[in-house]
Amino acid sequence: MASRGALILADADNVATAIDDIEPGTEAPVRLGKEVRIVKALEMIPFGFKIAIADIPKGTHVIKYGEPIGKASSDIKMGSLVHVHNLEGARGRGDLTKGGER
Amino acid sequence: MNFLGFERPDGSAGMRNHVLVIPGGLLATKICEFVEGVKTILTADSGSGRTSHDRETVARTLIGLGRNPNVASVIVHTGAVGAGYPELNPTRIADEIAQSRKRVELIDVAKEGGTFRALEIGVQVAREMVLQSSQLRRQPSPLGQIAIGVKCGASDTTSGIAGNPVVGYLFDRIVEAGGTAFFGENTEIIGAEHVLAKRGANAEVSRRILEVAAETEERAKSTGEDIRTVNPVPENIAGGISTLEEKSLGAIHKSGSAPIRHVLKYAERPPGKGLYFVDNWMSLGSIFAGYAASGAQLVIFQLGGGGWTGKDLLHTSTAVVAPLMWTTANRKTLTMAPSCIDFYSGGVIENGDSIEETGEKLLQTVLGIASGTLTKVETIKHIDPTQIYLKDSPF
Repeated sequence: MASRGALILADADNVATAIDDIEPGTEAPVRLGKEVRIVKALEMIPFGFKIAIADIPKGTHVIKYGEPIGKASSDIKMGSLVHVHNLEGARGRGDLTKGGER
Repeated sequence: MNFLGFERPDGSAGMRNHVLVIPGGLLATKICEFVEGVKTILTADSGSGRTSHDRETVARTLIGLGRNPNVASVIVHTGAVGAGYPELNPTRIADEIAQSRKRVELIDVAKEGGTFRALEIGVQVAREMVLQSSQLRRQPSPLGQIAIGVKCGASDTTSGIAGNPVVGYLFDRIVEAGGTAFFGENTEIIGAEHVLAKRGANAEVSRRILEVAAETEERAKSTGEDIRTVNPVPENIAGGISTLEEKSLGAIHKSGSAPIRHVLKYAERPPGKGLYFVDNWMSLGSIFAGYAASGAQLVIFQLGGGGWTGKDLLHTSTAVVAPLMWTTANRKTLTMAPSCIDFYSGGVIENGDSIEETGEKLLQTVLGIASGTLTKVETIKHIDPTQIYLKDSPF
């Protein structure tokens, strides 16, 4: 069965949420309301995880729900999995404000 | 749109019809064991060795549980740790509950000649109260009589796209009908506080929302830890959530779209009807009892669960007097714990069902539970202890 692909939640988003497992190499349908785009998955995107729907340069915002959810910690290519390995939150970071003693 | 509820003297309507014995401890537990239909709070948070601020939180929790519409009548006893503090004075607690004009009896352990004599009297008073309350019949009560609280947990990305928005629709329907709805979790608005603050009913509410987020973030930073090692919890990350901001932006969908009338303290009673943000802690051992003390007759746990494995029996209840219902939008979670989940909203993801039609179905389920249908975990007698949300250090 073809993958149901992923959902974009707001216009400004540069990631979409997989609503099905997306196998590497799949030309996945990515929906924003009635609009459907096709994004080729560069790697496995499991159900519930995020796929980049644009190239996201290191240090720029990853946008979901139309709002920043953190910054890319490396260059992210369209079609890649976006998760803790390449996306860093900016909030509540005691590890950054306490002089890096930990 | 109505449910069948128990009319209370203060004009509220109960979904359940309990007798409550407080504070917790041996006396209360033993009365519960002897008498059918009696509840108590199971907690080690007695208020002893706590600041006046925290003692007041304990008192507010006990009083609020007593005033909850699901409670027909209340026994307050003097045999508790902490009873010597003015905030926790049993007469004060009994008097404040009695303002709701329900029946409240005070049992003075010393006057009765000790714990065992007090137990005998407590059992007889509780039996009499249960018999009396059993004579009440459910009556049609409008939707606007409902007060409901929600927590989202083990969140995954199904929570933000389906589970929480469906609960948010329910919240909107209840608030539109003149009812009351509570959401909270102060850590889980960090990164979404600017979105939430726009929904403040006035500038003061918006300011308080931002302040709660800032205070919580400050406390998080003062630990010297990366909050990502605490929250998002490992289950969130295993479920596809990468950052606290992402979790928060998904989490706030459970509040619907109504204006936020006020920011409440844990267990605080609201000044009227409407939607409230509660400055509370996300723990399921804490949050539900707080909502019940604020007046919620029903609490919802909106579960992601994508990162969970093998949890076929979910947490039963710590809302003391309010039933707990579980919802999820994750098929895997539903399959994992079918005997605990009351409502499934995954059709939004799987079939493209609308949030509105799914939310209407949830509303019907809630009206059924409000009218007496048991939630699935209500069939289990095990009660987990409540952690009252205390902010200060113990001394």
